[in-house]
Amino acid sequence: MIALLRGFLWLTGVWLAGETLVVLLDLPVSAGVVGMLLMTALLMLRIGRLDDIAAAGQPLIGLLAMLIMPGVVGVFFLADDFAGQWLAVAVALMGGTLASVLTTLLLMRRCMPSGPEPETPKEPRS
Amino acid sequence: MSDALIELREALLITPLSSIAMTLAAYLAALWAVERLGRPSWCPPVLLAALLVAATLWGLSIDFADYRRGADWLMLLLGPATVALGVPLYQQLHHIRALWRPLALSLPPAAALASCYSLALAWVMGASPEVLASLAPKSVTAPIALGIVEALGGSVPLLMGGLLVTGVMATLAVSLLAPPLGIRDHRILGFALGVNGHAIGTVRAFEMSPTAGAFASLGMSLTGILTALCLPLAWRLLGL
Repeated sequence: MIALLRGFLWLTGVWLAGETLVVLLDLPVSAGVVGMLLMTALLMLRIGRLDDIAAAGQPLIGLLAMLIMPGVVGVFFLADDFAGQWLAVAVALMGGTLASVLTTLLLMRRCMPSGPEPETPKEPRS
Repeated sequence: MSDALIELREALLITPLSSIAMTLAAYLAALWAVERLGRPSWCPPVLLAALLVAATLWGLSIDFADYRRGADWLMLLLGPATVALGVPLYQQLHHIRALWRPLALSLPPAAALASCYSLALAWVMGASPEVLASLAPKSVTAPIALGIVEALGGSVPLLMGGLLVTGVMATLAVSLLAPPLGIRDHRILGFALGVNGHAIGTVRAFEMSPTAGAFASLGMSLTGILTALCLPLAWRLLGL
């Protein structure tokens, strides 16, 4: 339980550090993203106990879907705001996603070294 | 509704706990129902849960803004949760080190095109700047996308709808397009699912295999970071 609190304090502290950077440097990025990169960097530098941070982080990551759900509810209450643009939105989302999946698959097929062992990569063919 | 009931409703709405309880109940009910339906990929539990909350709000004639004010307490946790995404990213660094060349070659165009195709289509069809700003981060995982849309000045609910449609579409597209292209490498399938279908695609990838899942979350985090760093800058430069 104490480990969880320590981990949560780390996560909150790193978020606050991210917010500090965003405000001071006038970054166009959200504090969460800066915090995520800071967190990765800190772990690479062996700062912070991975066990504690994972103990608090794992459940939060598992609950991400629920945490954004109140935002999703808003979809059902904006019907009038974007009247006349629904077709554009639908075509953009469906067509755009199909096209981008196709591009990613083709790109990766070209760039990815073959072989099932990602730990021993050969030179990429491209 | 009688006056006494309306008074009770007002009293309960003052505390954020009613919104929180409603959110938790809807989410658990949706999880249960989706499990019963055999976890279809076209219906993520979030969608069903959101429908349940919307129906409840409508049935009790509660204002969405009132619900949202209470639920904001729950969404506060998105901050530390986004920071926590740094942990799996750190744990996947060995994949990045081993495959940095193919990743560096394919990720930037893939992530950029995921956003550009839809923007171009929407723009051609005459969507307003606000709609464009809401759709731009549609392939980015929700906690990061929320920050991006804030920076661009888009609509959060529209973004959320876009994220849902994109995630479901990407999952369908990968299962439709991969067999004719002869792609069976789970690293590629997972990566495509993560880059295009964010969290919804990643969940699907973990159902395929742990390798696909690892590459999906790698693709998801890298797309999120790249888009979060580049999109607001590009937006500023284009003067939108």
